Amino acid sequence: MVYNPQYYPGATSVAANRRKHISGDLEKLREISDEDLTAILGHRAPGSDYPSTHPPLAEMGEPECSIREIVEPTPGAKAGDRVRYVQFADSMYNAPATPYFRSYFAANNFRGVDPGTLSGRQIVEARERDMEECAKVQMETEISCPALSGMRGATVHGHSVRLQEDGVMFDMLDRRRLENGTIIMDKDQVAIPLDRKVDLGKPMSEEEAAKRTTIYRVDNVPFRGDEEVVEWVHRVFDQRTTYGFQPL
Amino acid sequence: MSDSAENTKNPLQIEIFPSRILSPQTAQKLLAEIYQIDGILRVMVQGHRLPTKVGFGPGTGEKVEHPQRKAIEVEGQVIELKVNVGRLRLEVADAEVKEKVRKACEKVFPFPFEFREGHFLKRKATVTDYAKLGPNADPKLLGMVDPKAGNYKNLIFIDNKKGKNPNEEE
Repeated sequence: MVYNPQYYPGATSVAANRRKHISGDLEKLREISDEDLTAILGHRAPGSDYPSTHPPLAEMGEPECSIREIVEPTPGAKAGDRVRYVQFADSMYNAPATPYFRSYFAANNFRGVDPGTLSGRQIVEARERDMEECAKVQMETEISCPALSGMRGATVHGHSVRLQEDGVMFDMLDRRRLENGTIIMDKDQVAIPLDRKVDLGKPMSEEEAAKRTTIYRVDNVPFRGDEEVVEWVHRVFDQRTTYGFQPL
Repeated sequence: MSDSAENTKNPLQIEIFPSRILSPQTAQKLLAEIYQIDGILRVMVQGHRLPTKVGFGPGTGEKVEHPQRKAIEVEGQVIELKVNVGRLRLEVADAEVKEKVRKACEKVFPFPFEFREGHFLKRKATVTDYAKLGPNADPKLLGMVDPKAGNYKNLIFIDNKKGKNPNEEE
């Protein structure tokens, strides 16, 4: 019998989207070039080599270690890249992702990543090229909507702020804005101006965002309407209270 | 002051809370409509700050030319918006004025909004107000800015003859 992982319970569209995010089985909605991604991340100049923090592992002469033999290093670790970060904020107004599901996505689908989950933002730290790979998937697929999610390294606030009149999540530092129907970013994630305008793609319509979101909301798909999820959440809380959470 | 619901002649405080944060154009339109109404005593505009410079992180000091930070015109007076207007608190002369303000909001907003009556601006001086403003402070100044920040320069006085409380005796 083939084992199919069961990532998340529930029969609603929100539960199905949560399963998609965790499994990494995602629909690609837009294209962002490597150069543009490097520019908005702001860690190195687009087109330049990856700066390294140590020589490539092959040249280092690693000590004999059974674990090192079992575990294949990630491309970034192999090359000795620096550890760098990408951070996203998602609006609570039906953004496709939430910090927890970005973390589940990163931890389930990439090796050598260190996801950090906060209330209104989510950060992934990894070797530079590994982090870029993870960031690119998040930018190009249904995990992000350019209007309702934002790559923000500093002054991340926006998650719980009402949307602007044009339906874009508020950004105090004006890193990105709606221009001619698409979202344009002309600053990097810490608001240092870029010499280019990066097209992040068309924002989702309100209906599409409501369909693709992983957020339960009373004005869209209410949490209490998903009986299986409620049952499992109760079960987890109950067992955690009774025994300490021991899922295995 | 009577607390009776039948008494509609006392000043009221209302809060307008739109479901979207307002663009400068909509804020200007709304304020223009509000200032057309007789009996608006005080208006406080509140929202997220729009900084001129990046204040935190590696980009500290970089310019932010936020498109929402624009000058608007109210009653012929040009005001530079330093916030993205998200909430307005008003003191109005009576319940009739309140209904007129509600109609103005319905006219201007293409989206839903919350409109509530309550106690949003101070009516009595606190010890800090007393220390900062003295014993004979203008009651209209109370609650308009944080007395501890002490920046009363942020207050903008708009000359509006209609703002006089029609219920007040000469």
